[in-house]
Amino acid sequence: MTAPLLQLSGLGIRFGGIVALDGVDLTVAPSTITCIIGPNGAGKSTLFNLITGIYRPTSGTVALQGEDITGLPAHRIATRGIARTFQSSRLFEDLSILDNVIIGMHGRTRTGVLTALLRPKASRRELGACAKQAETILRGISDELHARRYEPAGILPQADRRRLEIARALASRPRLILLDEPSSGMDDRDTAALMADIRRVMADNPGLSFLIIEHDMRLVAELPDSVVVIDYGRKIAEGAFAEVRRLPRVQQAYLGQKAVEHA
Amino acid sequence: MESLILQHLLNWLVLGSIYTLVAIGFSLLFGLLNVIHFSHGDVSMIAPFAALGSLQVLFGLAGSSVGILPILAALAIAVLVTGLVGIGADRLVISRFRNSPAMMALVATVALGTVVRELIRGFYPQGSNPKSFPAIVQGFAEFGGLRLPALPVLIVVSTVAIVVLMYLLMQKSPIGMRIRAVAEDGATARLMGITPARIFAFTFFLASAVGALGALFFASYAGVVRFDFGVQLGLIGFSAAVIGGLGSMGGAILGALAIAGIETIVQANMADGASYRLVFAFALVILMLCIRPSGLLGKPVFEKV
Amino acid sequence: MSTTTLTHVQSRAALPAGLTVAATEIGGAALLGAFLLAEATPMVLALLALMGGLFAALQLRPLIEEEILRAFHEARGLATVLAVTIVLIYPFFLGGNTYALHLLIVSLLYSVLALALNFQLGSANIPNFATGATYGIGAYTSALLAIHLGWSFWATLPAAAIVATVFGFLLGIPSMRTRDSYLALVTIAFGIVIHQMLNNLSWTGGPNGLVGIPAPSLLGHSFMQPIELFGFRLPSQANFYYLSAALLGLAILSAKRLHESRVGLAWNAIRADELAAKCQGINVVWYKILAFGVDAFLAAFAGTIYAFYISYISPDNFTFLVSVTIMTMVIVGGMDNTLGVILGAFLLTMLPEKLRVFSDYRLLFVSVVVILFLILRPKGLFPQRQRHYGGQ
Repeated sequence: MTAPLLQLSGLGIRFGGIVALDGVDLTVAPSTITCIIGPNGAGKSTLFNLITGIYRPTSGTVALQGEDITGLPAHRIATRGIARTFQSSRLFEDLSILDNVIIGMHGRTRTGVLTALLRPKASRRELGACAKQAETILRGISDELHARRYEPAGILPQADRRRLEIARALASRPRLILLDEPSSGMDDRDTAALMADIRRVMADNPGLSFLIIEHDMRLVAELPDSVVVIDYGRKIAEGAFAEVRRLPRVQQAYLGQKAVEHA
Repeated sequence: MESLILQHLLNWLVLGSIYTLVAIGFSLLFGLLNVIHFSHGDVSMIAPFAALGSLQVLFGLAGSSVGILPILAALAIAVLVTGLVGIGADRLVISRFRNSPAMMALVATVALGTVVRELIRGFYPQGSNPKSFPAIVQGFAEFGGLRLPALPVLIVVSTVAIVVLMYLLMQKSPIGMRIRAVAEDGATARLMGITPARIFAFTFFLASAVGALGALFFASYAGVVRFDFGVQLGLIGFSAAVIGGLGSMGGAILGALAIAGIETIVQANMADGASYRLVFAFALVILMLCIRPSGLLGKPVFEKV
Repeated sequence: MSTTTLTHVQSRAALPAGLTVAATEIGGAALLGAFLLAEATPMVLALLALMGGLFAALQLRPLIEEEILRAFHEARGLATVLAVTIVLIYPFFLGGNTYALHLLIVSLLYSVLALALNFQLGSANIPNFATGATYGIGAYTSALLAIHLGWSFWATLPAAAIVATVFGFLLGIPSMRTRDSYLALVTIAFGIVIHQMLNNLSWTGGPNGLVGIPAPSLLGHSFMQPIELFGFRLPSQANFYYLSAALLGLAILSAKRLHESRVGLAWNAIRADELAAKCQGINVVWYKILAFGVDAFLAAFAGTIYAFYISYISPDNFTFLVSVTIMTMVIVGGMDNTLGVILGAFLLTMLPEKLRVFSDYRLLFVSVVVILFLILRPKGLFPQRQRHYGGQ
């Protein structure tokens, strides 16, 4: 049998004396969408930071397609095929929309200082090709973003910022994309478009999986193959949303306050 | 031999005290604003000039026979003036960079330091020449049979007193709590009825006034002051604050004592130690930052993502 | 108002690109020449006012700038040939004024230094207060090699660059663990350590520095000799003028190539958001160290030419204040805009010299200007422009 795309075993981290995340096990198969839900401060973003190498776990392991990537620096993990977005979107504000996407291709391009200085043609050719691909990606995500590709990313409204972040994540041709609250700041129509985008991207890229932190229950109910619930740094439930939401401990931790009114 | 060791020990404590007074200002301001006030040394160095100026005026008024009173008055004026200049530096320049990248404020305050120096050089009478600065006290003090020169003792004792006062002010007094509240979270502090602008003004006054005392002690101990002494004093004070951990008062003291210690040891043990003391002091700074980037007592920062 | 602008631009657009390029380049060169030769203060002030006016025009009518840039893009070949020609024949128009030539050389060298620092400060927002130190390391290395080992200028040039680059990489290592103000302090401390060492070591000549650095020569022509060509006679400084201009040309080319490559983009990404850059697969530490290395490499070239030009160097040429001055040039000119950075270097080199009347207050004046710039125009005279791809 083949190794799962992503496998977390007993993953945990403590800051000083505080345990932020403890003993999380999680398996993500290729071509799937997994949603992570849980109350604010439960440790969802911390989990993302552990997977992407921003924090170094104090216990447990992260494996990507069977290879141990625990504790690798963030840029190495990104190059291995995990891309992500951030809860409060972190674009390269003063650079153009197009450049934001091109930078996403850094891990799979090669030009170094000497090539840039001594073989400018090769360097320009590489970047030119990147620009073409980036335009294609942008056009796929949104015609408007493509039309505004030479404008600085900093002036975009919230929903477009999210889209651009997804485009940037796609640019690295990842095997796994981590989205941190992609629908925050979006209205219903934007969220519907976001879901359509995610489905389309999955159809275009066989094998690609998504791991999504989300609060919008409409999205959580419709999109994912499975849902993982985290509370106080621990995984308390996993399964299909329809089943998970009925579990008493989940309702107590999370649904009790929030999503019951949605349901 | 014993007296030599004693002399070095005293020298270490005096330098440590002076650096502490300057470093505390850096730490205080960084804790509040996350900004390096690079001109802090130069602003502090205004104090000796203000003191010299007011001494001349005071003696002109009262005649030179008067004792300690005019000196104390001159020192008080100098501290007050420097504190006010500190507020001015914030209002005119530093406050404009509250929302800019840290680099901008850093370069702006470097330029501000030059402005302060050049103003002294250009507009203080014969500002480019070194000025002799009187010892605040002369003679010796007796401690249970131990005869020590009075000035170093005064410097060390006053510094200890100032540090204790600062600690009480920051931890126990209402204004100290307000400062810490603003440092923690400006928006919330505003909701609680605290005016951040006033807190900033007060903190700048405090930092500059304490720095002024450091500069006054420095000038008095060296017996001389020049318009550009603030550069080095500022750099050392800043280094002390960073080695100790920016934002921590205890760290500032530790850092100051460490730098003063290295300087004293090098000076005492090397043939041309005096000329190499800066090399060693700043090599220590580099080494410290490589080993413990957040300083001795600074908390490591986890970036929020 | 918008309609008049439009017609205005359309009539300008009718101008052939070549003409726009020629007018811009020759006009700029003439303005620089007038400023270099101006001695009376009213003349200097008038020229400054003219420059200010031109700049204001560019600000109020951004389309003019677009038009000029478009023309330069269209007539790239002509622009390059004309620029090189102007640089070559420039000394002939200075009428043997050696002071003007000297000012020009110093401006060129500072332009190189500012471009070197721009790789860090402008491209990647890494504070480096030690450019003066790497500049000094380059100057001292080549001077020592020339004086003690009799190396020729041309041999010391790469040697100095290599030594300084090693120091640059060393200086970059702390950037693995420190950033912002802390990294700034590391570079300041490094600068002071180097300065104090130069000042105290006996083999660097202590505070007196090194004297008697021999003049370079090329194909039997000593740089001490005036250049005689077609019956014209250029003062000996012209040798160093051409040398510095060639170096600046090299620096501009490097800056352009790096900026338009994956490397430049990675630096810009780090400047904008270090953490997000990491998550795009950018090895932030390596790119920071690289920026230190590139900065030191170029600065060492400038240092070598300076040492051989003046033939005397002392630690005071390479102080903390020199580093701050270079930093100021980048900030005033415009972060990561090559033209802006060069303009900043020229302005800040020449202004203090031209304002001799206020000689006592020059430093004060320059510092106030810097603060005003940071407050009023934090992105500099000419801010960075967005990259365009595929000949657009």
